[in-house]
Amino acid sequence: MAIRDDFEIAALQVRTVLQRFALVVLVLAAFGAMLIGKADTVLVENARVLAMDLASPALEAIARPVAIANRTIADLKEFASLREENARLREENSRLLAWQTAARRLENENDRLRELAQFKDGPEASFITARVVGDSLSAYVRGALLDVGRAAGVTPGQAVVTGEGLAGRIAEVGQNSARVLFVTDVSSHLPVMVERTREKAILAGDNSGQMRLMLVQGVQGVQRGDRIITSGNGGSFPVGIPVGEVVQGGKEGSVRVRPFTDFSRLEFVRVVDYGVTGLVNVGPPSNSSSGTAPPAQRGH
Amino acid sequence: MRADGALIALDRLGRLLLPGVVLLFFVILTLAPLRLPYLSDILPLLPVLAVFQFSLATPERLPGPFLLAMGVLLDLLLGGPGAPVGVSALGFVLVRAAVVGSRRHLVGVPFLFQWVGFCILSWAFVALVWAFTSLWTWTVIDPVPAMMQYAVMIVAYPLLAPLLARVRARDPLNVPELSRGTARPGETTT
Repeated sequence: MAIRDDFEIAALQVRTVLQRFALVVLVLAAFGAMLIGKADTVLVENARVLAMDLASPALEAIARPVAIANRTIADLKEFASLREENARLREENSRLLAWQTAARRLENENDRLRELAQFKDGPEASFITARVVGDSLSAYVRGALLDVGRAAGVTPGQAVVTGEGLAGRIAEVGQNSARVLFVTDVSSHLPVMVERTREKAILAGDNSGQMRLMLVQGVQGVQRGDRIITSGNGGSFPVGIPVGEVVQGGKEGSVRVRPFTDFSRLEFVRVVDYGVTGLVNVGPPSNSSSGTAPPAQRGH
Repeated sequence: MRADGALIALDRLGRLLLPGVVLLFFVILTLAPLRLPYLSDILPLLPVLAVFQFSLATPERLPGPFLLAMGVLLDLLLGGPGAPVGVSALGFVLVRAAVVGSRRHLVGVPFLFQWVGFCILSWAFVALVWAFTSLWTWTVIDPVPAMMQYAVMIVAYPLLAPLLARVRARDPLNVPELSRGTARPGETTT
C-alpha cells in the first residue's frame, strides 16, 4: 500500500516536471517561430499565402450572408431618409452636370494640347474587380482579403481602388486570394502630391483612421480641404488617383489627411493593372474586366 | 456494447473536439468582414476568450501543440508585413498555463472572480502582442486601438462567457482529481 502511494507521489512529481517542461518547450517553440519569421521572410510570406488560400473559401462563405445583412441594414437606414436623399442627389446631379461640361471641354483641350506637344501617354490601366472576403483590421494591421489572386493576374504592388479613391496596394498574392494593405496601415508609405500646388509628399499611415502627410519641400501652402492624389513616383501606381483630403494643416509632420475610401463599407474593389509594377515582371493582363477608365484614372 | 454505444462514442468524440473546433472557428472569424461597430472590435480577441474559457474546465482538450498551431495560424492570417508570427501562440500557451496554474482561484468561484481573472490575463495577452509587434516592426505602435479592443472585450465578457460555458462539455467540479491540470486523456493510468 505504502509502496503504491510512494509510486503515485513520484508519478505525480514526474508529471508536474513534465508539464513544466512541456510549457518551456512550447514557449521556446513560439519564440522559435517568431525568430524564424524574422530571419526568413520568404518562408513566412509563403506560409501567409498558404493560410490565406486555405481560409479564403471559408471566409467567402461567411462574407456573403454578412454582406447581405449589412446591405439590408443600410437599405433600411436609407429608407428613412429617402426624401431628403433624393433632393440632395437632384441638387448634386445638377451641379455635377455643370462639372461634366467643364470636364469635357478640358479633356478636349487637353487632348489637343497633348497632340501639339506630342505627349506620350503612360500605359493604359485595366482593372480586375474583386470582392472583399475578409478584413484584417486588428489593432496592428489595416487590410483586407480579396477573392482574386495570381490566377486573375493580380501581382504584388498593384493599386487597389474604389469608386471614391485609392484604398491601398496588394501586399501578398495567393492562387485565388490576395491581401490588400490599406493606405492607413502603419507600413504604408505612399508617394503623393497636393493636387492644387503639385507639391510632392509622402503619405504615411499609422493604423488610425487618418494619415500623416510628410512633405518633402516644406508645408507652406497646404490648406485644409486640399486634395491629395498619387504622384506616380515609383512607377507602380497611375498618376492622379485621389487618396484623401487634408483635414488639419499645421506644423511640419502634423498635416493629417482623411482617406476618401470608407474602409468600413468596402465590399467590391478594383485592382489596377497598370502594366508596370515596379521591378515585378507582369504577364499579359488576362481577364481584366473593363477597359473604360473613369476620369480619375487618367493622367493630367 | 449496447445499441447506444456508438452514440455515446460519438458524443464523447464531439465533446473532445469541440473546444478545438470553436477555437479554429474564432481564429477564422477574426477575418470575417462584420462591419458592425464594437462587434468587429472584439473579433481579434475572441480566440483568447475561447482559450481562457475552455482552459478553465477542460484544458486537456486544448493541447499545447494545438494552441501553438492556432496561434501561428492567427498571426499568419492577421499579420501585416513584419509582424511577429508566433506571438499569439506564445500568448495562448501562457494564458492556458496561467489558467491551469491558478485553477483554485478561477474554478468553482463566483463569476466576478473569473471576470477579473479574464481581465488580467487578456490584458497581459494584449500587452504581450503589442510589445512584440512594436519590437518586431521597430516602431512605437499606437496602443489606443488595442486598448479599445480590450475594453470592448472585457465589457462583452459577461455576455459571451455563459455562451461558451454552455458549449463547455462538463462541470469543472466533476473533473476527476487526477485529470485536472494539463493531463491528457490516457495519461492518467490509475
